[in-house]
Amino acid sequence: MASSILIKNEARLGLKLVAPAIGIIGLLVIYPIFFNVYLSFFDVQLNGSKTFIGLDNYSDLLANPRYYHSIGVSIIYLLGTVIGTTVLGLAAAVLMNQEFHFRNIARGLILLPYFAPVISVVFGWQFIFDPVNGIYNHVVVDVLHLTDTRENLIGNPDSALFVVILFDIWKHFPIAYLLLLAKLQSVPKDLYEAAAIDGQNAWGRFWHVTLPELKFVIATVVLLRIIWNLNRFEDVYLLAPNVETLPIFTYYQAFAGIVDQGGAAAISVIQLLVLVGLIWLYVRKVLKW
Amino acid sequence: MMMNKRTPIQSVILYTLVISLVLFCVFPFLQILSTSLKHPIDWGNPSLIPRVLHLDAYKELLGLMPAKEIDVPASVQRLLDNPALSAEKKQMLLDKFTSNDEVFAFGRYMLNTFTISFVTGIVSTFLASLAAYAIARLRFPAQSLMANGVLFVYMVGGVLLMVPLYQMSVTVGLASSASGTILSLFLIYLIQTLPVAMYMLGNYFRTIPFSLEEAAMMDGCSRVEAFWRIILPLSKPMLFTVFIYCFVIAWNEYLFASVFLKQYQDFQTLPLALQTLFTSKNAIWDRIMAASMLTLLPVIICFMLANKHLSGGLTDGGVKG
Repeated sequence: MASSILIKNEARLGLKLVAPAIGIIGLLVIYPIFFNVYLSFFDVQLNGSKTFIGLDNYSDLLANPRYYHSIGVSIIYLLGTVIGTTVLGLAAAVLMNQEFHFRNIARGLILLPYFAPVISVVFGWQFIFDPVNGIYNHVVVDVLHLTDTRENLIGNPDSALFVVILFDIWKHFPIAYLLLLAKLQSVPKDLYEAAAIDGQNAWGRFWHVTLPELKFVIATVVLLRIIWNLNRFEDVYLLAPNVETLPIFTYYQAFAGIVDQGGAAAISVIQLLVLVGLIWLYVRKVLKW
Repeated sequence: MMMNKRTPIQSVILYTLVISLVLFCVFPFLQILSTSLKHPIDWGNPSLIPRVLHLDAYKELLGLMPAKEIDVPASVQRLLDNPALSAEKKQMLLDKFTSNDEVFAFGRYMLNTFTISFVTGIVSTFLASLAAYAIARLRFPAQSLMANGVLFVYMVGGVLLMVPLYQMSVTVGLASSASGTILSLFLIYLIQTLPVAMYMLGNYFRTIPFSLEEAAMMDGCSRVEAFWRIILPLSKPMLFTVFIYCFVIAWNEYLFASVFLKQYQDFQTLPLALQTLFTSKNAIWDRIMAASMLTLLPVIICFMLANKHLSGGLTDGGVKG
């Protein structure tokens, strides 16, 4: 049959074309995921030597207060950043959907934080909060006289967490804004006109028209932010290495001080399970590929 | 959004909000620019406008500073003046007083970063375009498994893989040489960019009408030729956007660079080198800020070039960020 040959040829070509990409992904993502599980049962050195220790990595981890502390820090970080980026993104989308002068320039400018490399903005943020020269301390101490002492907000892990959250909101609200604005522009105008005729004011129109229309996209934004921020490393570590979210705790376990690569593998296994659950939710509920 | 005219008060509120939002977004950039142009005595000055324009930081980073006067103690100078000493010995003595510790090899780090980002971008975009075409257009076994697998993979963050990938590289022996380390890093950047590149390109290829390929194949083109002659040229803007996206991911990467390149200082990338510079020395705000500006510039240019397609490409897939 000619058609079955065609189908076979198409299948062969398809496999050939995906082979390099899928091969690399299989070797360097799928295999490492399982290798990671394997490593989590060993005491692993940086030079590669391994000793089987069964479940010790897990029991050590569950008895380690630093682990629970970093889970707590991660939860605060996630709550702050997810709520912050979504709310600011929504506000920015509603604002940028209005007509005003220089709108295109404003729309471009608010994307800057998202596009800028983390490394080239963290030092600017550190300077803003610098105890000696920073504008933050200048405003709080010298202008507003809220306190008498200049604080090193980033030097203290407790306050640094909030600087990190603010930084993350600043850096990532534009992607939430882009997703929400795209949807907002497709909301039919007559819905607003109908609501206006019903006597709704601006707030009522936002509440009864905008929000219900955006519900689905907002859910997407929230879920995506949780997935990305659960693994976020650079933005936190480079700004304030003393804020120990889970990824940073893992990094310290694996590569700093007393190296415990097996322990780090165990943390990653647990975290991956959580992540898989979230991704499953995302693929089921949100995406069609 | 509304047809009716705004009252003056509403206008004032609107513009105030817009200006506050824009200021919030650009203030850190203004701060970086301002500090990079300030003389150290001016750092405590809260105004963003420098009292005196101070370009030394840029000059130093770009290698435009005149070589520093060599400060040699008198006793050593006497030794140097001694004609009995060979030129080689004299040079060795001199080198001790002109150690290169102070010079931050910005150009080298920039070149390292550019090279690995560029190669990552090219290879990733190429491999992804092949795979994305197959997934978008052809029918083959395990197709939907692969399509969904890619999505899954693209959400598994690098942090979860750093231990196994490092151990694999040690086991294979790549981590023990500079070239092997760079190869490892390049492969890691590939997997960090491939899934998202495949996803963006796959979505784009689906928007191209199939009838175009069909017509080409009627005219005697093979499938591969149709892909090469019809689909790829039509996708140029998206290919460029995907390239930029991959380039920037590699340009920004810190985690794996810090794991793999720590002991190979000559091959370090900008994020790693800047972080090392910042933590190892005090009071170098002007140089750090100038370096930040210079690191920022190529990315801003890239995104200005790609912005039109990027905003769409990003939102379609709810891309990483």
